[in-house]
Amino acid sequence: MRNVLRLVWFDLKQELKPPVWIIMEWAVFLVQVSVYGVMISQLVTGIDNYFQFYAVGLVIMITFDMASHTGRHFVEHAHEGRLPYLLSLPISRTKLFMSIALQGGAELALMLAVPLTVTLLIIGNLTWVSAVACVLALFFLGFGVAGLMLGLSFIAFKSSDLYTAIVTGLSTIIIRFSTVLYPFIFLPPQYASVALFSPLTYGSDLTRLILGFDPSFLMNPYYAVAVLTALSVSTLGLGLILIQRLVEGVKSA
Amino acid sequence: MYAVETKNLTKQYGKTYALKNLDFTIDENEIMVLLGPNGSGKTTLLLILATVLKPTSGQAKVMDLDVTSQSTSVRKILGIAFQEARGFWRHKPADILRFHASVCGVPKARRDTLIENILKDLELWDARNKLFMHLSGGQAKRLEISKIFVQRPKFAILDEPTSQVDLRGKRKIWAQILKLREEGSTILIATNEVREAEYLADRVTVLDEGKFVVCDTVRQLKDSIIGGDIVELEIDTTDTQIIEQSLSQIEGTVKITNSGANRFKAYVSMAESWVPRMTDICYQNKARILSIRITEPSLDDVFLHFTGRVLKEESR
Repeated sequence: MRNVLRLVWFDLKQELKPPVWIIMEWAVFLVQVSVYGVMISQLVTGIDNYFQFYAVGLVIMITFDMASHTGRHFVEHAHEGRLPYLLSLPISRTKLFMSIALQGGAELALMLAVPLTVTLLIIGNLTWVSAVACVLALFFLGFGVAGLMLGLSFIAFKSSDLYTAIVTGLSTIIIRFSTVLYPFIFLPPQYASVALFSPLTYGSDLTRLILGFDPSFLMNPYYAVAVLTALSVSTLGLGLILIQRLVEGVKSA
Repeated sequence: MYAVETKNLTKQYGKTYALKNLDFTIDENEIMVLLGPNGSGKTTLLLILATVLKPTSGQAKVMDLDVTSQSTSVRKILGIAFQEARGFWRHKPADILRFHASVCGVPKARRDTLIENILKDLELWDARNKLFMHLSGGQAKRLEISKIFVQRPKFAILDEPTSQVDLRGKRKIWAQILKLREEGSTILIATNEVREAEYLADRVTVLDEGKFVVCDTVRQLKDSIIGGDIVELEIDTTDTQIIEQSLSQIEGTVKITNSGANRFKAYVSMAESWVPRMTDICYQNKARILSIRITEPSLDDVFLHFTGRVLKEESR
């Protein structure tokens, strides 16, 4: 276990010396909430206090970005030649993948620290219980998204440019066609039918439910939990199997 | 027990064989050099032994541990220096080595001293706090191999350890490799530099197109080329015909050519036993030897002899 923590810390400390990237993300969040969030909430009618809805949406988007970054990071490691080195270290494959997941989790936790605190303050629900429940829901979503990116990694072994293009395009669709910024019941039918396939729809509605938003605006939480569980388990499992087979060259034969 | 043993080891990419039915062994505490041109399967073999790649079929064992079913145990006793040092762009050499040493279980008490000594020896001490991405190609390569010298594994795998390194650096790396062997490590080196192979190898395995060609000591490989040694002679004599005839009758003579008035070129096997016989003949015939030059075959010639192809275009 010490080696797992060493692996996590080796990379993580680079992010913190100095933590420019993290501070920039926090700053972008604060500006977006305080300027754009305030403006847009004046324009949106039909939802009580859209400002709060929007702030949670931003937190979901940060979660999505970080999780997809973790999945992509692993693929980049393979391309940069770092993965063979990691695979040669005296650590079991399970622990190696665990360290990658932990690193992603730690980065996500760091990245969310300020946005989530601010969002809970805006909602007026800054308690340990709501914070912990919210973090769990976001991590749940994060695992699913990271798994999705890993599952697509087989494309990167054919062409990293194609992988980047597909992942970027897919990310745009997943965010836009979801309930991250608009409640499901207000979506036009065509838009809503696509949003049903976005994991962010379920992740964001589950998070909002935990934070006490009006359940009539949101997806059924049982569906949300079921979809997120299925997504996390299937994509992470598939991703790990694919990665192992591709990286270690088993599939190639 | 062999340090490394492979049986019918095969690695296939689609229809292409990177390795085909490879059987080979390395003794404990031996330096084995894999010699072959690019694409001969050297790196694939190293990566399979390092458990980074899985074989398509066949078996490979390191210190009696199967690389597929006991891969974590194998990784605990080996260290690998890759052909190209990549991947830690934003880390510093000293940090990279410290991390590597800690993950590989180098005792904390020895870690800093070892790292300092290796960095100084390989002339990386001044660059220890530079970011990896700012290192030169040679420095990055020396850092890659430094990991092995800090780790001091029981089984060390080195993929082209001195490519991109200048001659001075090469000598330092070679000295460290020999020191590692003195401490009891078994070492497998892949290279296409014949000088490196000749300097370091206890035995050389020649690979070509993923297949095993031959394995022996450098001396034996060279001696296996019939007529591979060339002895150039200049003799002060009036009767060149008698001398030429006598020389051609010495055991091991393949061909004698007369390349000038008193100059001969003899293609012989094992010049070390041929030359004393030649001097006896000259003495008996009152012929004075004015000059003598012996050229033995290089590992390039060995490769050419066994495969019919040149090892490396630039070494021609």
